[in-house]
Amino acid sequence: MSAGTQVHANLTEAQVREISEGLDEPDWLTETRLEALAALEDLDMPDVIRTPGRDWTNLHELDFESLVDPLNAAEDKDQVGPEDAEVLPWAEAVQEHEELLKEHFGSIVDPQENYLTALSTALFSTGTVIYVPEGVDAEDVTVRTEQNSRSLFNYTLVVTEESSSVTILERQSTGAEQDEQYYSGIVEVAAGENSYVQYGSLQNLSEEAYNFTVKRGVADTYATIDWIEGNLGTQLTKTEVSTTLSGDSSETQIVGAFYGHNDQHFDLDAKVWHRAEHTTADLVTRGVTDDVARSVYEGVQDVGKDAWDTSSYQRENTLMLSDESEADASPKLIINNHDTEASHSATVGQIDQEDLLYMTSRGVNPRAARNMLVEGFFVPVLEEIDVDELRDDLQELIGARLRQRE
Amino acid sequence: MSSDQDHLKETDTEARFEFKKEQNAAVKSDKGLTEEVIRMISEDKDEPEWMLERRLRALKQYHNMPMPSDWPGMPDLSQLDVEEIIPYIRPDVDKREGVDDWTELPDEIKDTFDKLGIPEAEKNALSGVGAQYESEVVYQNMQEQWEEKGVIFMNMDRAVQEHPELVKEHFMTTCVPPSDNKFAALHGAVWSGGSFVYVPEGVTVEMPVQAYFRMNSEGMGQFEHTLIIAEEGSEVHYIEGCSAPKYGTHNLHSGGVEVFVGEDAHVQYSTVQNWSKNTFNLNTKRAICEENGTMEWVSGSMGSKATMLYPCTILKGRGATDTHITIAFAGEGQDIDTGAKVYHNAPDTSSTIESKSISKDGGRTNYRGLVHIADGAENSSTAVECDALMFDNESTSDTMPYMEIEESKVDVAHEATVGKIGDEDIFYLQSRGLDDDDAKKMIVAGFIEPITEELPIEYAVELNRLIELEMEGSLG
Repeated sequence: MSAGTQVHANLTEAQVREISEGLDEPDWLTETRLEALAALEDLDMPDVIRTPGRDWTNLHELDFESLVDPLNAAEDKDQVGPEDAEVLPWAEAVQEHEELLKEHFGSIVDPQENYLTALSTALFSTGTVIYVPEGVDAEDVTVRTEQNSRSLFNYTLVVTEESSSVTILERQSTGAEQDEQYYSGIVEVAAGENSYVQYGSLQNLSEEAYNFTVKRGVADTYATIDWIEGNLGTQLTKTEVSTTLSGDSSETQIVGAFYGHNDQHFDLDAKVWHRAEHTTADLVTRGVTDDVARSVYEGVQDVGKDAWDTSSYQRENTLMLSDESEADASPKLIINNHDTEASHSATVGQIDQEDLLYMTSRGVNPRAARNMLVEGFFVPVLEEIDVDELRDDLQELIGARLRQRE
Repeated sequence: MSSDQDHLKETDTEARFEFKKEQNAAVKSDKGLTEEVIRMISEDKDEPEWMLERRLRALKQYHNMPMPSDWPGMPDLSQLDVEEIIPYIRPDVDKREGVDDWTELPDEIKDTFDKLGIPEAEKNALSGVGAQYESEVVYQNMQEQWEEKGVIFMNMDRAVQEHPELVKEHFMTTCVPPSDNKFAALHGAVWSGGSFVYVPEGVTVEMPVQAYFRMNSEGMGQFEHTLIIAEEGSEVHYIEGCSAPKYGTHNLHSGGVEVFVGEDAHVQYSTVQNWSKNTFNLNTKRAICEENGTMEWVSGSMGSKATMLYPCTILKGRGATDTHITIAFAGEGQDIDTGAKVYHNAPDTSSTIESKSISKDGGRTNYRGLVHIADGAENSSTAVECDALMFDNESTSDTMPYMEIEESKVDVAHEATVGKIGDEDIFYLQSRGLDDDDAKKMIVAGFIEPITEELPIEYAVELNRLIELEMEGSLG
């Protein structure tokens, strides 16, 4: 653990026990939390992109000690879904589905993977378990979290049985405006054979907030996991969305949209691990940086030795609206099986001046023309979103942000 | 150097047993990196005090710097023990600064170069050839017509003596300071030989200037330094070739290349390297490009056990241009980690990077690139294209580009593709009567054509021949 991040100094076993007891958790879960707490001492921050002499995102700068207030979590939560699927608040899931939790909790995201996952595991006080039984098609599962405290740790588990499907819309926002907040979320998705999961997420926390999120899924044979990741809020977001394609013929799509303005900093990872035959991945991210905002994008397509007949595609496009903003990108291909079709591309640029001229010459005022071009830039991403509500909300938030601009 | 003389006698005896090829070294240093070794190299070269000071400062920096370790997927350097490397061997050549006439060379050196076809290349009306054997340049020639125009092409050690002002100003100061990385520091301490090229204002050297580097001894390190200064409006094409036979222990090649591209000048730097498969090839190559200057890197990386090489261009002046064309081939047990670095530090600069790699029989290739566009480098553009071809399932191919963009008025594009050899392509060629091997060779030849067409014909032929040999798996 590097110097400077000393949050564990003011965390105690007693606090963790209090959280766990409050949720009436079984002993094994309390133990898992306590082990994560104890591990904090030795764990480092999550990996960030580094080039010689430079960390692209500096997580050590954050003052976790003042940000984390473990016993004062407060939120306003909506957890709803159709009757044939189970959408359970954490405390209820602990009572009703202990075996399910024992099987899956921490199996996809290792609680001790890094300092922030361990912190989240030790301290999470709220969560949702979404369980979709065999053959059930569950639409419009909604998990809305409004953060009303200095820190909030959230955990989500999605388990789909064979041949089921689910579309989930998760939203994070800030309630009564706080000065500085820390929101941490871990999402584990276990997609059973031939099941389909679309997990859409819209992060619109206050611009004073810090956010750390890991969303990770494992897809069984013929399963599909599609992620949609919209990032608009926070002053600093470090987030990873990834899928392990562990079953033959499994598929994943990761669609990302972000819009950074003022001094926002987004560190966004999209990763796919091809670990079986005939798997397919498609990663599409589009984002805007304005003012002095900064985006850091890392995309990984990792094709394992046994991943025969892989198709893997990745695109990342950033539009820079201001000269003071920064956009860094590192799309990585790691290929260990030659029976692979893989490509990635990344571009950074500004609004096409010819397009702008064309529109203004047709009588559109320059500001409206620019806004239309930015909205048009997001269309390929919006088109991939199945859930109408998510698409509309994202579009509206992008529009509102554009109109805030001079 | 009386005490040094004594120890040299000892190592000389040792050398007779160590060398695979019967060869007498006039001077051979101890293994490892100590101040004594550095002082001995400098003394043997009769260097001025300032150069010795630079070496010693670099040595200090070397010892203070960590080995690179936190790069994702970097080659394994654990078998590289710098303390076991012999940093300096001067072959037994009468004139230390090289000989003017090819026929004066000792037979064994001549034979080696004959086999590599260097005299032929020279006979074929090339402007000049420098040949380095171990740590020293043994042969150097420059056609008189260029000398009359003020072009200088000589061994780097001689340049220290004859052109101290130019060397003092440019040698590992602003372009590749020893503090740049651990191997640049190592190079700064033990460098030996290499080429010095100076092209005065407005002079175009129409023929390529060539140098060939050969490592023959077991367990040695080669640290040649190349310094190219192209003044305003001048033009030059420098080509280097490198090779070494295979031995049981590991060799180290850690060269340093510095190129100063003046205003409106144009420099092309081409490399075809084919180090033996036990060589660690860890180089630092960098160019600084002034206003409207053009830098072109063309490199073919064959051979070596592990290569870490990312030729870098700093586009310092407005309108400067950079082109990188690289090809990497990794066969069994090889890890070729190579790429390109470009810093756009001025407006209206442009760069294009075209990288091709082939991996086969368990080899690994990686494109690791960095494009940095600084705040204020408006109207800059860069396009990066990487293509990887994989032959079998034991091989690995990675692409790790980094793009740091601090300026909005830019045009940045990166594209990479990976694929196996197309079954359909092979089928098509087979149906036209080619056998499987020939069909593959033809596809590879087509794949690397963008590189070979940038090279003079001798080098293009050599590159093609090397790849063909690799494809047949007959190169040891």
